[in-house]
Amino acid sequence: MLGLIKKDFLLIKGNLKLVSIIFIVLIFISFEESSNFIFIPAFISIILFFSTFSYDEYNKWDAYAITFPNGKENIVKSKYLSTLLLVLFTVLITMIIWIIISIINNNLDIEYILLTSFGCFASVIFLQSIMYPLIFKFGIEKSRIVIFVGIFILIAIIGLISRNIGSIPIEVVSLFNNYWMIIVPLIIIITFSVSYYLSKKIYMKKEF
Amino acid sequence: MINAVEIKNLSKSYNNGFKLGEISLNIPKGLIIGLIGENGAGKTTLIKSILNIIKIDTGNIKIFDKDYINYENIIKEDIGVVLDNMFFPELLTLSDIDKIMGDIFKNWDSKLYFDFLNKFNLPIKRTIKNLSKGMRKKLEIATALAHHPKLLILDEPTSGLDPITRSEVLDIFQNFVQDEEHTILFSTHITSDLEHIADYIIFIDQGKLVLNENKDTIVDNYGILKCDIDDFNKVSREDYLVYKKNKYSYDFLINNKSKIKKKYRDFVIDNISLEELMILMIKGDK
Repeated sequence: MLGLIKKDFLLIKGNLKLVSIIFIVLIFISFEESSNFIFIPAFISIILFFSTFSYDEYNKWDAYAITFPNGKENIVKSKYLSTLLLVLFTVLITMIIWIIISIINNNLDIEYILLTSFGCFASVIFLQSIMYPLIFKFGIEKSRIVIFVGIFILIAIIGLISRNIGSIPIEVVSLFNNYWMIIVPLIIIITFSVSYYLSKKIYMKKEF
Repeated sequence: MINAVEIKNLSKSYNNGFKLGEISLNIPKGLIIGLIGENGAGKTTLIKSILNIIKIDTGNIKIFDKDYINYENIIKEDIGVVLDNMFFPELLTLSDIDKIMGDIFKNWDSKLYFDFLNKFNLPIKRTIKNLSKGMRKKLEIATALAHHPKLLILDEPTSGLDPITRSEVLDIFQNFVQDEEHTILFSTHITSDLEHIADYIIFIDQGKLVLNENKDTIVDNYGILKCDIDDFNKVSREDYLVYKKNKYSYDFLINNKSKIKKKYRDFVIDNISLEELMILMIKGDK
């Protein structure tokens, strides 16, 4: 399976230049206004990773990889693990850059940075968990529209919640405030696991 | 173990109406088996079934004497494949393939892989995308061989190769089966390739197995009996398999050359090439 993870990283290696440029631009923007741009690298990295599905599909890689030992199972497993690693890596780098900038600007708020970074990681993994079963079922080309709709819906939900934060019953808000450290990771772990299970099930039935 | 692959009652239907099978056949170990047939006859479907890329409707398959589903991962360590237009994403370089495959096959042999690349004059740093069609085929063959497989399954491995490279590649295949544990299943419609190297011929037409025969038996027993238009009725029905009408003559496909030669002394009886055999069996009338 390590081989398949390597394959995906070798595939996106070519885009590293682009990602580095985005990071650098981000650093300069962050001097002015920090937290709003913090989501961008993680979202870009996952969209970048979606391209590996396109490359695979274009060269009918799946059918070829099925002829390897443990082929089918490892194809699904490696996609989930690679994404997790990539998003984790991107969020960590972003966080480190942010911390350095905050120190230079003399406005370091480490708790805020950690929370926002975690929120960023959680929302990207949530998005990925919803997308992957669709991609494995319909292929990346057909899922592309769904991806954009998915991102749009996610942004809409976040917007809706933050706009109507006043009308949510105070009990729910306080419950969330007190236990979010358990609730959010739990939601992420559950969606990620269910998503993996579904994708595997879909993929095992698929023919090429 | 005498057979590398044993197939029993395999069938597979598609929604578009195409049906493969039922097919039962054995692929004997240590030989080169040629799989021939028209485009769309079911060659690739058969190969994909053996590799469990598609699920078969009925039947069972044994590879190296083991059930191909229950022991899939063990079996696949020992299979090398060249599939038609299915390979690594083309942004990868030739050395990337080595890095990846080293973690996939226990027996991956980097040295052997790079030896093949050298032998084939393939540039290591280049991406697959920038290879010519022939170079790409050679890369696929090198990749299939580099983990010391026991069974090579090749779908059109010589298409797109120039004559010189083709003979190079066929030599490699022949060397490969010098080891009696090694077997090659080789699908092609360039039948002249098989003329040189195949030991067995499997012929599929419209999803059905129409011929499964030792190549020497085909060469010794099959032939074409030629006669003028007027002499058609002189050939009795039980002596031929199919016939084809030409402009001034008839061709009869026979499978008992020595006996027929004695019986029809006045007619010309020619040896048959695999290509002629294929055309007669597909296009001929009963």
